[in-house]
Amino acid sequence: MSIAVDPITRSVIGHRLSSIVTEMGEAMLRTSYSQILNSSRDFSIAITDVQGRLVAQADHLPVHVGALPWATKAVEARFDDVVPGDVILMNDPYHGGSHLPDVTAFVPVFAGGRRALWTVVRAHQSDIGGATHGAYNPQATEIWQEGLRIPPVRLYEAGRLRDDLLDMLALNTRNGRDFRGDLAAMVGAAHLGEKRLARLFDEFGPETVETAIEQIYDAAEARTRAVVGTWREGTYRGEAFLDDDGHGREDIRIAATVTVKGGEVTVDLSDSDPQSTAFVNSSHANMHAACVMAFAYLIDPDIPKNAGAIRPLTVIAREGTIVWSEPGRPVTMCTSHPSNEIVEAIVKALAPACPDRAMGGWGRRFRFALQGKDPRTGRGFIWHLFHARPGGGASPGGDGWSSAGEWHSAGGLKFGSVEFAEVRFPLHFHAHEFRPDSGGDGQHRGGLGVTLDLEVLTAEPALANTAGDGIRHGAAGMSGGRDAAPHAYRLLSEGRPPRVLRTKEVGIPIRPGDVFEVRSGGGGGWGPPEKRSAEARRRDREAGLVTGGEA
Amino acid sequence: MASTFRIGIDVGGTFTDLVCLDEAGRTVFAKSPSTPADQSVGVMSGLSELARRLGLDLGAMLARTDRIVHGTTVATNALLERKGARVALLTTEGHRDILEMREGLKPERYDLRMPPPEPLVPRALRIGVRERVKADGSVLVPLDEASLDAAIEAVRASGATSVAICYLHAYRNPAHEVATAERLRAALPDVYVSLSSEVLPQIKEYERVSTTVVNAYVGPAVRRYLTALEGRLAEAGLAGPLFIILSHGGMAPVGDAWRLAAATVLSGPAGGIAGSRRCVELLGVPDVIPFDMGGTSTDISLIAGGEAALSAERGLAGERIALRSLDIASIGAGGGSIAHVDAGGTFGVGPESAGAVPGPACYGNGGTSPAVTDANLLLGYLDAASFMGGARPLDRAAAEAAVDDLAGRLGLSRDETAHGIFRLINLKMADGIRLMTLRRGVDPRRFALLSFGGAAGLHAVEVARELEIGRVIVPTVASVLSAWGMLASDLRYEVSRTHVGDAGAMTDARLRDVFAGLDGAAASRLRSWFEGPVRIERSAEMRYGEQVFEIDVPLSDLDWEAPGLVERVHARFHARHEELYTYASPDQEVVFVNARAAAVGAVPAVDEPEIGPRDTAPVGTRRAWFGAWRDVPVHRLETLGAGTTIAGPAIVEAETTTVVVGEGDRAVVNRLGWLDIALRATS
Repeated sequence: MSIAVDPITRSVIGHRLSSIVTEMGEAMLRTSYSQILNSSRDFSIAITDVQGRLVAQADHLPVHVGALPWATKAVEARFDDVVPGDVILMNDPYHGGSHLPDVTAFVPVFAGGRRALWTVVRAHQSDIGGATHGAYNPQATEIWQEGLRIPPVRLYEAGRLRDDLLDMLALNTRNGRDFRGDLAAMVGAAHLGEKRLARLFDEFGPETVETAIEQIYDAAEARTRAVVGTWREGTYRGEAFLDDDGHGREDIRIAATVTVKGGEVTVDLSDSDPQSTAFVNSSHANMHAACVMAFAYLIDPDIPKNAGAIRPLTVIAREGTIVWSEPGRPVTMCTSHPSNEIVEAIVKALAPACPDRAMGGWGRRFRFALQGKDPRTGRGFIWHLFHARPGGGASPGGDGWSSAGEWHSAGGLKFGSVEFAEVRFPLHFHAHEFRPDSGGDGQHRGGLGVTLDLEVLTAEPALANTAGDGIRHGAAGMSGGRDAAPHAYRLLSEGRPPRVLRTKEVGIPIRPGDVFEVRSGGGGGWGPPEKRSAEARRRDREAGLVTGGEA
Repeated sequence: MASTFRIGIDVGGTFTDLVCLDEAGRTVFAKSPSTPADQSVGVMSGLSELARRLGLDLGAMLARTDRIVHGTTVATNALLERKGARVALLTTEGHRDILEMREGLKPERYDLRMPPPEPLVPRALRIGVRERVKADGSVLVPLDEASLDAAIEAVRASGATSVAICYLHAYRNPAHEVATAERLRAALPDVYVSLSSEVLPQIKEYERVSTTVVNAYVGPAVRRYLTALEGRLAEAGLAGPLFIILSHGGMAPVGDAWRLAAATVLSGPAGGIAGSRRCVELLGVPDVIPFDMGGTSTDISLIAGGEAALSAERGLAGERIALRSLDIASIGAGGGSIAHVDAGGTFGVGPESAGAVPGPACYGNGGTSPAVTDANLLLGYLDAASFMGGARPLDRAAAEAAVDDLAGRLGLSRDETAHGIFRLINLKMADGIRLMTLRRGVDPRRFALLSFGGAAGLHAVEVARELEIGRVIVPTVASVLSAWGMLASDLRYEVSRTHVGDAGAMTDARLRDVFAGLDGAAASRLRSWFEGPVRIERSAEMRYGEQVFEIDVPLSDLDWEAPGLVERVHARFHARHEELYTYASPDQEVVFVNARAAAVGAVPAVDEPEIGPRDTAPVGTRRAWFGAWRDVPVHRLETLGAGTTIAGPAIVEAETTTVVVGEGDRAVVNRLGWLDIALRATS
């Protein structure tokens, strides 16, 4: 059933939908409890339809949003008796989720007596139970060691909170108070969206809204096809490598075979290496999200990233590979790795098809957490490294952004103040500035990584864990550009030789006065280095971004 | 005895507005073309014009002027047009890239081909100096003289005319910055010097560095302009002081203003807020949303409980400026925004604008793209002959051609297309307002929309309806609102002090001491240029230990002598937090970040002249679109008497704007001659 909707009404409805997700996002930001949400903004907001298609999303983390359709489908598959006032919760990677910390709330929106849409809020929890704090556990060999698994469950039944269920969930996280506070904020934001959508349905009628949504998909699809139609047809291959899985396997390959034909793109990841015993596997939804992310980066930035925009994209993969593991395997690392490698393999494959669009590789994530006691207060502390962001890739548009992060965040994650960290934690930042020569050379140079010398000022020994990738493989150069320098982290401890830090270690002993020597990787270069202008090279040398030999 | 004058001057992009108020409350206005190359030229000719209207010569007027209040856009323009000073940055060795790192953030999530912006200070001019202060303020590495001398030599060689000095933890211990400044000034006396410990003595290095660099970037231009203007005014015989309105709405004498030049980047729009506050006082309406819609941009702000919202989360032209300033959101859309249809067949309005040249198609300057103003003309809201009082007749045929072309591509009629443009721009405006109110944690429905700016009246009623706002107010002073508001503003001088530490370790006595010191400093400064009664307002910026954002907690009405002061300050903080963010965490540690005192010199209120009953009849009728083509009455606001009630649909033409009143809405002319519109009830 479809009725005629004029272009003005369609635009008005489209506008309203995006203002509703923006409003939900603001509400979430203002009411969420934990710092990872209200400061680092590690959450996403969307509206999906009952077929799991993405209607509208707020401008948050790309890696979240491409996964939400799969989460919606899992919810739809589980429940056929949803009533107004229900709230569904889920996180399980083998039930449409991405990884366990990303808990997602769904509120159904009814119109004309039937279910029409979902408002969806996904937020990264600071802890979700499991063997280690914060879920990143390089030693895990099964998903049960990573945290609490939540298949689609009803948190509210027809408006009534199931507080027994909530008690159980909160009890299984390390900071139940934060968990409850953040969950309340998520549900509040989703309800706000529901209220706004109800008003939209009232004003225009369900048929008009639903028809307009179909037209909005079609319009985004038409724009995407127009873009892809300019790409050179053919079948292309690209690959990227994970350093290792921390369980003894190295150079794990992600392989993309990409076909461009008739305005459509098919990404086939079937040739990727087999799955791992460690947490570097990708869930199915996350693999799709990574493919959507790569595709979204290559089409026009202002095309609405809804279900229509990705209609021309088909994804093929094989269960049992590193990009889509079998049930039970650990996956916590997947939103960064192998997400970043999947994106890089696809962009690399498509570079010859759309050389004016493909950009150099963005950095990889190599974090560590430090746990110890602050001698000034006598209290325990946990500190996570968000500083020393890697560089962004160069592009046809210009040099890369320095210290702007990885493919999966692309300048969307903020690092905190150095002064603030020194006041709050027993840490001293001797240096925190650009790392010369870390960006990949090219006609446009990759952004720079960062040099960080961080001294630990505890009075007693502390412990560090690492989680990440990218000390063997730097961000890829594109279209003739050079690869960037990979990460290089060392621990300097008096009287001992420097210790190279690997990316998946637990329980590293830290002595008072030890210094973390962090050298984060840069972004990949774009275009042949011989085409870089003498002026640009002179400026790089004058600024000290590039040292050494004459060009 | 001859009366004395107060003068307000607002320099806008096109015109410099001047308002003079005498003791009897008589108001005289003047306008002169702005002179961007040297704004003081336009100011001086505007003052001459003002004097002429008063029947005096310039010297005689200035001799009887006891205060000039001035909103300037010198800093704003230097930043927007990237025409500031060549700046060098001296910073702690090992930390020279704070500015360019931008805390790791990049705008536009899906645009990975966007090149990074050029920082205001290129890396070669960011010079590390060997020194280091620790988090507790103690010195880890003493300021190294050889390193400093080398840095000063590098500044000299670079030709920089302005230097920003920003060392880590200088908010806690400024000794190294102060010593560096002394040596630098001795070596290079002509250089403009900005210290982070003076510009923004607060923790968080990115905000402090960026703000100090902006200060260094705009400072020399502001100093040049203000000292020149002060000189010209003194020469011309000005008796009283010249005050500059600051971004936070307070005022400062010239010397203070150029030393803290970064605090003047919103000096211009701050005048508009001052005007809005004056409107609020006159009407006794505490909650309004000032809505200033022009040709290319629209400014939105918020006045709640009579107070303008402040924010320290702002920036301009992509540069972070963490000084507290009035919270004004600018939307890049207005009467000149262009309607279009994209490759997917989606209809939209903006962000492209027809600008002033060629302008909307109906300006007849060769524009062929359909702009919002073209739609307003075709919908009958604007009259081709009487636009801008007949000074600029519009070209209807050109507007029709432009809209018809778009209509053809959309498969719609001309009327439908024009109305679609009207509707979409209203939605855009409503979105901007919704976001602003949401960020302040308030519900827009309890506010009245205060409409000013050339394009605001056409859209205000429909924008309000979209937000379920029930009341729209259109003041007659809209065109000179800024200059007019400055005159009526209280004089305000703020001082603040960073006090990092647990509020848990804070005692009542210590808190009283900190504020007593601030009160004294603020009051004595204000008394050096103001003779009237002075009151003190106190506030603090506080946060929970685990948070990174502070909130502003007003503390003026506390009983400061009663025991349990610290607990009551805490309670105030928890309550404010709950009000803003819906929750409080009474068991969490509370951190006291900044203490702030403002000395406020109250300016005697002057009543606005009221109007009596005058005409009530419309001046004509016009065919306009209100869901269908209707013949609706057209009124002239200036001729309407107090108490006149107009039932919508109707059009009211005022001096600088046209007001569209919808079906079922009722507009009443109030005692001041302003339009006060009650919207029809919704559902």
